[in-house]
Amino acid sequence: MAALLRLENVSKRFGGIVALNQVNMEIQYGEFVGIVGPNGSGKTTLFNVINGVYFPDEGRVLFEDRDISRLPTHRRASIGLGRTFQIPRPFASATVRENVAVGAMFGSRGKETNVNESMLVAESIIERMGLSRHRDKKAELLTPVEKKLMEIARALAMKPKLLLMDEAMAGMHPGEIDRLVELLGGVAAEEEVAIVAMVEHVMRAVVGMAQKIIVLHQGEKICDAPAQEALNDPKVIECYLGYTPEEAS
Amino acid sequence: MMRTLDKYAAIFPVLVVYAVLFLLGLNMSGMWQLMATLLFYCALGQAFNIFLGMTGYVDFGYVAFVGMGTYGMAVTITSLAGTGLGGLTIIAGYIMALAFSGLLSLAVGAVALRLRGAYFAIATIGVNEGLRFLIEGTNLWGGSGGIIFTRQLNDILGKDASSALATFWADVLVLIIAVLAAITTIVYMRSKIGYALTALREDEDAAKVMGINVTMFKILAFMTSACFAGLLGATAWALKTPYVFPPEVFEIHYTIEAIIIVMLGGAGTLLGPVAGGLIYGIGKYVLSIVLPGFQLLIFAPLIIIIIVAFPDGVVGGIRNKFGHTALGRFIL
Repeated sequence: MAALLRLENVSKRFGGIVALNQVNMEIQYGEFVGIVGPNGSGKTTLFNVINGVYFPDEGRVLFEDRDISRLPTHRRASIGLGRTFQIPRPFASATVRENVAVGAMFGSRGKETNVNESMLVAESIIERMGLSRHRDKKAELLTPVEKKLMEIARALAMKPKLLLMDEAMAGMHPGEIDRLVELLGGVAAEEEVAIVAMVEHVMRAVVGMAQKIIVLHQGEKICDAPAQEALNDPKVIECYLGYTPEEAS
Repeated sequence: MMRTLDKYAAIFPVLVVYAVLFLLGLNMSGMWQLMATLLFYCALGQAFNIFLGMTGYVDFGYVAFVGMGTYGMAVTITSLAGTGLGGLTIIAGYIMALAFSGLLSLAVGAVALRLRGAYFAIATIGVNEGLRFLIEGTNLWGGSGGIIFTRQLNDILGKDASSALATFWADVLVLIIAVLAAITTIVYMRSKIGYALTALREDEDAAKVMGINVTMFKILAFMTSACFAGLLGATAWALKTPYVFPPEVFEIHYTIEAIIIVMLGGAGTLLGPVAGGLIYGIGKYVLSIVLPGFQLLIFAPLIIIIIVAFPDGVVGGIRNKFGHTALGRFIL
């Protein structure tokens, strides 16, 4: 079977700054991938190119073998691309249930789901995420962690094939991270969602779950390997710490 | 059946208020004109709310759509007078009014709705003023001389009927438009359209990520709102007073009034424009009797106080308080 998502020589420049330089990568169906890289390495730009916020200057983005390089963001959602943000962006005046239902109404199952059915979908996902008692609360009244969980619920309600998660675990304590990792692992396996999680700080989450890790540095992909291997790669260590182990000794 | 009733229960308070206004005007001597004015304010608020309240975009050129509706009716009546179509002319006038305001909103929306926040507001002021100068400068539709069609309206409907239209039936039509706008609002709110508009009002980028075609929904709300404005113009400004002058129908003052009505009552709520229309209309009327000449001086701080006390509008404030009680389903 072909890859779910494939990037072919994708470049994106802002003026003279090369944010992404000839990036190639593949994500398989149901795979869990961590995107790692220091500040300014191009992770967010990569997400924005996959998601359609930006169009690539060069190269192609293929989703299920279809070229989506120039497809607007909302159309990408309807073919199965979901996303959560680093700082949650709830629809503040709507209730938790309404927020999540919006995902079901307009995501990949949007065409065949009416308002009432979307509410039912939302309820089952909310329960799964452990947010049932906040169901009728306005989203703006949730705590930051609850907002994050709600945003993940909202993205899952879209029934995505690929879910881009932007620093989903930042700001959570280890217990919560473990719980979320387990939950996501379960959902991903069951619904066959491929998850691409962007990580800057919380390595714990990635190492525990990722089948592979892609490391970005100054807009280039410097490593694409299974988790342990990637974290021991000298080039990766260099870009995080500034020198190679050999130089240090 | 029960569920459907429950879903649309919030329309009843709106209909009750309209019915009370109508019956008061009908049965108390000398009250009809006041009630008609209040109904006009409510209808204007209700129509504007579909765009301003539901999308959060502020259109400072809204009155242009009322003006285009007025012109649509006026142009139709003057050009069809003498063809012997009778009452059909009025229907043709409404179709023309819808076409004028609908097409203008489509053209403006497709361009200006790409702008956000203050930039959108500024662009819409430009449209309103630009349109007025276009009509005056190119002598379109009589230019700055306007169109006076009292005689044509008399020819078409007969003298008695056209005066009954001006003093009574035009106001009844305004009431019908207000009810239609309220029904449209609740149908939108209860359908995917309402959820899409709420989402894009709260966070447009997040809404896109959820799969919402934000441009399409914004234009839909804009056009719906503009078409109701056009109907109002054709009724309250053309049929009721059979003349139209550019400086009058493109007067930004009316847009400001509409914004105040929606904000006072509660933007994005169903009952809000009704509450806002009543507060604004009654306040303006009472103050102009009690303190003639000073009404605006007193009214401005009063409006500020209400807005400070109810940041979400009067209905928004009440809903925050009682929304979870048994009364909640009637407050939307």
